Amino acid sequence: MKLLKRLMCTARRRSPWLFHMNSGSCNGCDIEIVAALSPRYDAEQLGVRLEGSPRHADILCVTGPVTRKAVGAVKTVYDQVLGPKAVIAIGSCPATTNVFIDSRTLDGPLDKHLPVDVFVPGCPPRPDAIIAGVAKAAQILAERGNKAPQPIVAIAAETTEEVNQ
Amino acid sequence: MNILIMLWKNLRRGYQTLLFPAHPRVTPRFRGLVQFDPALCTGCAVCRFRCTSRAIEFKAGKGEFTWSYNPGQCTFCGRCVEGCAEHALKEGHTEHALSQQEAVPPVYTTQGELKKSYTVARRPPAAKMATTATARSAGGDARTTAGLEAGATPATGGAQ
Amino acid sequence: MNLLTALARLLIFPGLLFAVPAAWFFLWVERKSVALMQERVGPPFMQPFWDFVKLLGKSTPPRPGIAGLLMRAWPLIAVSAAAGAVGLLPVLPSSGGFEGDLILLLALLELPSICIIAAGFSSRSIFGEIGSAREAALSVSYNIVFLLAIVSIAASQHTFRLEALASAPFTPLHWLGVLAILVCLPAKLHINPFSLPNAEQEIYSGPMTEYAGPELAMWELSHGLEWVAGTGLVATLVAPHIAIPWGGAWLAACIFVAISFGVVLLLSALAAATARLAIDSSVRFYWQCTLIFAVLAVSSAIFMRFRS
Repeated sequence: MKLLKRLMCTARRRSPWLFHMNSGSCNGCDIEIVAALSPRYDAEQLGVRLEGSPRHADILCVTGPVTRKAVGAVKTVYDQVLGPKAVIAIGSCPATTNVFIDSRTLDGPLDKHLPVDVFVPGCPPRPDAIIAGVAKAAQILAERGNKAPQPIVAIAAETTEEVNQ
Repeated sequence: MNILIMLWKNLRRGYQTLLFPAHPRVTPRFRGLVQFDPALCTGCAVCRFRCTSRAIEFKAGKGEFTWSYNPGQCTFCGRCVEGCAEHALKEGHTEHALSQQEAVPPVYTTQGELKKSYTVARRPPAAKMATTATARSAGGDARTTAGLEAGATPATGGAQ
Repeated sequence: MNLLTALARLLIFPGLLFAVPAAWFFLWVERKSVALMQERVGPPFMQPFWDFVKLLGKSTPPRPGIAGLLMRAWPLIAVSAAAGAVGLLPVLPSSGGFEGDLILLLALLELPSICIIAAGFSSRSIFGEIGSAREAALSVSYNIVFLLAIVSIAASQHTFRLEALASAPFTPLHWLGVLAILVCLPAKLHINPFSLPNAEQEIYSGPMTEYAGPELAMWELSHGLEWVAGTGLVATLVAPHIAIPWGGAWLAACIFVAISFGVVLLLSALAAATARLAIDSSVRFYWQCTLIFAVLAVSSAIFMRFRS
């Protein structure tokens, strides 16, 4: 049994299938995701496939600050992704709504609606950073196994440092 | 026919991919993480004013101020660096506290993980204005600690 | 042949135990060669195997009712049909394969396409319906050419048995038929330029949109087995004419596998070089450009038959 479990963990780490969802982004991050599939950065060397249907994917990549109209769509698509799944927030918009902070058309960072596993910061993040994020999410998927994703955590406290006098 | 010739040339040349953990070199004008130097900061808060995405927070206290930066909120526009440089030039300094390094922020897993805060004590003004002899309330100089390195642990120093 | 030999041929060689790793190998070869031709590094060697194992570990959505039962059944039918088609191939020519005939092989090769069409409709999703309609239109178009070519080869030799066809003497008609099969293979295997039915991002994976988990693993496996069976069919018709008198059965089997491999590389080059054609262009291609060759093949077969 342990061998089967290790086999399944390795398979989940080595075959991350993505579904990309745009929840109101400026498309900068979307273009960088497509660039991550181009020959220079080649996400396929990790076994990544960009799938056409959320039912086929393991990892949901969300870009864009979540607009009010997109909240329902994001939650629906998240429910349609099956099985052991992970969520990557690509760019600083889904993590912290970036420059659109205080906008009336947004509904909070992505954290408010989905349990996010990996944040890839940048505006837009470089394609190699996106691939590093996908690799980390695949690692998280492999370790998590069949457990459900953790509930939404509160924003972590800031770390302050005192300057030496 | 052209496409077949292109395919053949591609096969001969081999793959041009960067294999996984490798990162490409960035150009010298790349706008990456903002680096803060507490020794040079005068606490003018122009960077907080100019920041487009509220990544920089500034809280003024008695005799000290707290400056914090969240790379997850930053949009890497460089306005804070420009503002700091202009302000420093206006006061006659050539060095300023903010610079933009060629580093890319790392991937993180908890919200707010990359945020760094610095508490800097206010210094007495520079030599040019020392003749006015108005003492600021702070004591000695603020020694510098490690700058904002991507992913480095913040140094915990004693309070003043 | 007796039951035991039949079961061994169906389940071990060249049946399931040989066909499934061969399917994964050919899938990897296709992805890797397309990647190398695009200057990318492509997936590592065991990638289709890891995809299969990972898909087996995913959960499936609840599928109530008769539509759900049908949805679960179609991938299994597709896999068993494709595996049976691989089992029929005379990989070791002296032992003659399964002693099935060509009609059975063609029927088994047809079943996965029919299963895809039926699966798209029974999944009750609009993308599935569009994808299935496209697959049906494409299937009608290339099948006419495919079947006419094979029937003309068989009719000219007065036999439908695979091993008799494989050792038949060389005729130009034979090569015309092989060329027609090669032209129809990209549509059967859903490769560029005829990759319309499972167009990703355009119709959200078409007929496969609602499939997940182990069912999707079965669909991927049936796709791989279709590769093995399709290229094996070409190899059956081509291999004996390159046969070397010495070396015995195992060398002939190696030649068979080598010719299949060559066909895979050829089709990958075609997939890397072309873009996806729209449905009207693909249907028009088969009806206007290739039908004439199929008609030529059939008429020359009839002519030769009446002459002899």
